Amino acid sequence: MPARAISTRLPFEQQTHAVERRLLILAGLFLTINTISLSVLRGSLSDWIHLLVWIGCAVTAHVLLNWRLPGRDPILLPLAMFVAGWGLLVISRLFPAFADRQTVWLIVATLILLIVGWLRDLLRVMRAFRYTLLFGGLAVLVMTILLGVNPGDPTGVLGAPTLWIDLGSFYVQPSEALKIILVVFLASYLAEQYPALRAEELDAPRRRFSLSPRIFGPILLMWTISVVILVWQRDLGTAILFFLVFLTLLYVASGYTPLLLSGALLVIGAGLLAYQLFDVVRLRIDIWWNPWLDADGRAYQIVQSLMAFAAGGVLGQGIGQGAPLSIPVAHSDFAFAALAEEWGLIGVIVIVGVQAVFAVRGLRIAISQRSKPFQTLLAVGLSSMIAVQTLLIMGGVLKLIPLTGVTLPFLSYGGSSLVVSFAITGLLLRLSHGESS
Amino acid sequence: MTNETALFLLRLAGSAALLLFLGTLFYTLLQDVRGATAQIEAARRSYGRLVLLEEIDAVPGSSGKFYPLMPLTSIGRSPTNSIRIEDTFASAEHALIALRSGTWWLEDRQSRNGTSLNDMPVTEPLIITDGDVVGIGSHKFRIELEP
Repeated sequence: MPARAISTRLPFEQQTHAVERRLLILAGLFLTINTISLSVLRGSLSDWIHLLVWIGCAVTAHVLLNWRLPGRDPILLPLAMFVAGWGLLVISRLFPAFADRQTVWLIVATLILLIVGWLRDLLRVMRAFRYTLLFGGLAVLVMTILLGVNPGDPTGVLGAPTLWIDLGSFYVQPSEALKIILVVFLASYLAEQYPALRAEELDAPRRRFSLSPRIFGPILLMWTISVVILVWQRDLGTAILFFLVFLTLLYVASGYTPLLLSGALLVIGAGLLAYQLFDVVRLRIDIWWNPWLDADGRAYQIVQSLMAFAAGGVLGQGIGQGAPLSIPVAHSDFAFAALAEEWGLIGVIVIVGVQAVFAVRGLRIAISQRSKPFQTLLAVGLSSMIAVQTLLIMGGVLKLIPLTGVTLPFLSYGGSSLVVSFAITGLLLRLSHGESS
Repeated sequence: MTNETALFLLRLAGSAALLLFLGTLFYTLLQDVRGATAQIEAARRSYGRLVLLEEIDAVPGSSGKFYPLMPLTSIGRSPTNSIRIEDTFASAEHALIALRSGTWWLEDRQSRNGTSLNDMPVTEPLIITDGDVVGIGSHKFRIELEP
């Protein structure tokens, strides 16, 4: 009897669910207005199917989570659904042919989120089998290096990075799944070392951190993984992402500030070295330093992106009324620039605000779980994964930092990225609910 | 209405919806922060204090040493107590002051030398009020409750 289930719910839970419902309705309102614009512009109703699927996913997730995780954080799901819905709009505006596929991925991602929220023992199992997970993830990474392809360049003539594995009818990007696996592994490893790390803190004058194998081991592991990704896959973004997230985790686990400083120096040093050694890194840094020397050539993409931001103005050109297609591959790495052109400053402020709030909520969940090291570190790792990735690509697209090819979480085109972002959301929701070991 | 006008109005509506979403989001966060602050304030709420008394020429007066009064305040020699006193006449776990349904109670925890309330021995849990003097070993505390 559903009526009865509602009446037995605690008052603060009802309040929580009302907050989530309100935000979802507002997100739906925004998407509806833009879908109307799109159908006025195109004179066809084909884009409504995406909106209907989005509404279906949002309602299903809201209702099922109310039942299964009544005490969850009320903000994370609306944020994820809002940005994912906006991403669908951007993609169906840019490449209508890709939008149907992305809509299917949205359904898959929502299912994954619900499954992650559903399994009570998930955290315990992940923790128990962390080495199996890690070696599975590394095996898949090696497989990608050996068998990887690029969907835009199946024969490998163009020499584009081969980060995908061909599974017949669709492609998956294993480095996306590796994100969660690495965070789970590091969180459980550092949680195990937590008492020792914190004990060394008490012994401050005599600490010999850098030499202690319990610190040095994971640093070496992460450094090796990052270098392997950089050298064999030329995937600069993922390499730097893994290293920065790992550094954050280690800092949170140990509370030792010099770690951050030495990590930053290490990243800069590695950057300088990579500048000498790898063409892809040199290219990225050169066009970041001064794109205007080669604005029609190698820096074409970043210059077009800057022009898109300028063209957006305050209100934006309006959906379907700008020219974001002049940016090469606008639907994936440069989705943020396409958004800036059509939704303007207001759109940019909202998307930056939403991603920031997502990260803050993740850290808040970490604080609320601070008596349990594994849960804390997992929440910190997952939310900083999203935050660092967002900063890297937003900064890159705006030419604030050298461009590193990562997707903008939730927004960019790409099934693996969307599914992994939703899985992270599901894990954070489960952590925010409190129970489970 | 031409298509251009309609699209322009929709663009305005879309921007308004975006700002509405962001505004609601920030309002929710503000409510959340307020709730958390209220919770912390409630937890930090002070109930009163125990003033350590000192006898000068047989007249008890404040020694200038204060201890916070908590809903469960234990007093004794052992370091596990909320108030630890160095007193050879006090037992390891000597006495307990507890807030039970709005009333403060003083009880002796089978101490060797006993606890006193206003110089009368405590044999069973007693209700205490503002200004009462609790004696433990050679120490005397005056209870100062906050309204």
